Amino acid sequence: MNEIVRKDAVRPAFDIKDYLRLDLMPHFMCPGCGHGIALRALLWATHELGIEKNQLAVVSGIGCSGRVGAYIDANTYHTTHGRPLAFATGLKLARPDLKVIVITGDGDCLAIGGNHLIHACRRNLDITCLMLNNEVYGMTGGQVSPTTSVNRLTTTTPAGNCEPTFDACKLAEAAGASFVGREVTRQAPALKNLIRAAMEHDGFSFVEVMSDCTEIYGRKNDLGESPEMILSQKADMRPEAFGNVADQPFRPNRLVTGVLAKQERPEYGRTYRARAALERAKKGR
Amino acid sequence: MNAPATMPATTAQIQAAPTRNIMIVGVGGQGVIMISKVMALLGQKQGLQVKQSEVHGMAKRGGIVFSHVRFGKEVWSPTIAKGDADALIALEWAEGLRWLDHLKPGSGAFIADTRRIVPPFACRNRKTGATMNYASETPAEIVSRVADGYALDATSIAESFGDSRAANTVLLGVLSTTLDYPIEDWLGVIEQLVPKKAREINVKAFEAGRAWAEAAQADPSLRFDHAIAREKTYAKPQDFEVRLEINAAWCKSCDICVKLCPERCLALNEEQIAYLKAPEACTGCHICEWLCPDFAISVNTVSREPASA
Ligand SMILES: Cc1ncc(C[n+]2csc(CCOP(=O)(O)OP(=O)(O)O)c2C)c(N)n1
Ligand code: SF4
Ligand code: SF4
Ligand code: SF4
Ligand SMILES: [Mg+2]
Repeated sequence: MNEIVRKDAVRPAFDIKDYLRLDLMPHFMCPGCGHGIALRALLWATHELGIEKNQLAVVSGIGCSGRVGAYIDANTYHTTHGRPLAFATGLKLARPDLKVIVITGDGDCLAIGGNHLIHACRRNLDITCLMLNNEVYGMTGGQVSPTTSVNRLTTTTPAGNCEPTFDACKLAEAAGASFVGREVTRQAPALKNLIRAAMEHDGFSFVEVMSDCTEIYGRKNDLGESPEMILSQKADMRPEAFGNVADQPFRPNRLVTGVLAKQERPEYGRTYRARAALERAKKGR
Repeated sequence: MNAPATMPATTAQIQAAPTRNIMIVGVGGQGVIMISKVMALLGQKQGLQVKQSEVHGMAKRGGIVFSHVRFGKEVWSPTIAKGDADALIALEWAEGLRWLDHLKPGSGAFIADTRRIVPPFACRNRKTGATMNYASETPAEIVSRVADGYALDATSIAESFGDSRAANTVLLGVLSTTLDYPIEDWLGVIEQLVPKKAREINVKAFEAGRAWAEAAQADPSLRFDHAIAREKTYAKPQDFEVRLEINAAWCKSCDICVKLCPERCLALNEEQIAYLKAPEACTGCHICEWLCPDFAISVNTVSREPASA
């Protein structure tokens, strides 16, 4: 038969199976968990950028989010809790030819790994950091995290969370990340585009993916079944394209999405290598 | 409104003038208001009282626009009642049909552009190649149903002079043959109302409309385009086939695909595994594929030759 699979920008011939470790599938995540959608968006962006699997290195921390990296059929490095950025920094400095992606969670990145995040942002090494924010420590059974919304129930906040939450994007921007963006999993193609733009950016890029922990956080807080949870993401978001048209848009959208900050700053790896070369020359080595 | 440029008609003529009810309908951007201004000025030129009212729908989105113009010795209401219009001028085919009941039975003139502007909401189904809910009556049927019908492709006529926007003036040319006002007055108000650079095209369009109408009055078989048959309106023909595969071994029954498919064509079976319940409704939009957290769905669109007639 004379069939042609359509190959256009909107419908690329992207087959996720080409990028998965099929022997590990189906993955371990709970039904409806947003992390799977985020993983798909990452692989889709990788496919669109035409990055070879052996040129891709995915470094992840501990948590359901950290586990996501293990399903990718590429160079993957499942590290320790809170430290994927530190491992990735070493890897990228040693192997600047690799495309280094960090997959981390809100607990992994902002709580135990908070210091690594701010220094990674400050250095501006060419790494893309995807933080899957589900507002909770999913893997360990649902403890409060730095991004848990106020009043939400977790196993460690049985009366409702009364701590203020972190805005991870503001934190990353203030610490010097040269590309900062946020997207919800509900907008999968937009998420893919954002990740793609982050990967294309020369310097440290931070992407906050708003993901759903359906089984633990969703149940505990009575947020509905998986479809209800993902549908409600839209009620919360406010695309950056809306700009500052109105401070109070027609819906109380609190979540600004899209590219939130972008600036050109010297990439740390190049600066470091130039300095090292100079030093070697001085010492006549 | 400006004062009439020429001298009003004699008192005797005014006394004899019957009240004329002209209804102009179309969608946003077609020039309904321009026609009603021409008619209002023309009425004033004859020394008559003129009343005009108009409604603009969501004009920019192709919404309804209509205008009522009434002129005569003494005119009270600015609106035309059902069955009272001496002429119904439709810049868009289906809009003309919508207002047919306003035409005066037995004498009213129906003057319509056969060009269709199909609104997005006529498409009830998002599937590519879907049938659209647009009036299926042919110009032949409509012209045979009204007392004095004219159905012409005014847009093409105007295009032949270099500007499809002059279609409204082509229809004015047709209308001018059904009302007995001096041609100089018609051309005078048209020239007064259109921008200088568009005058020449509009005069040509007006004359072309008149010529078309005179030929149609001489030979009734010319009153409509015979080529336009009764047929369904289709959106862009579908040139691909959707192949949706569900990997049951990976599906975790989360229901996301079922609830987020815009066409509601997926469901969970008795084992709580997603399946394509209504394959004919699937548009190949990929949403289920993108949002399945378990990569259990793959949507492939395969090109095929457009279905031959
Ligand atoms: C040093 C250390 N401390 C604590 C833990 C226990 N632990 C495992 S995952 C996790 C939190 C993960 O939360 P998050 O990063 O938000 O990932 P999620 O599971 O929500 O995707 C914790 C505290 C650990 N594995 N190692
Ligand atoms: S516990 Fe929550 S975050 Fe972890 S896999 Fe389940 S739903 Fe996802
Ligand atoms: S591709 Fe999926 S979401 Fe889209 S119409 Fe078909 S079944 Fe529904
Ligand atoms: S979204 Fe995927 S896992 Fe969920 S019900 Fe549909 S096919 Fe199954
Ligand atoms: Mg978490």
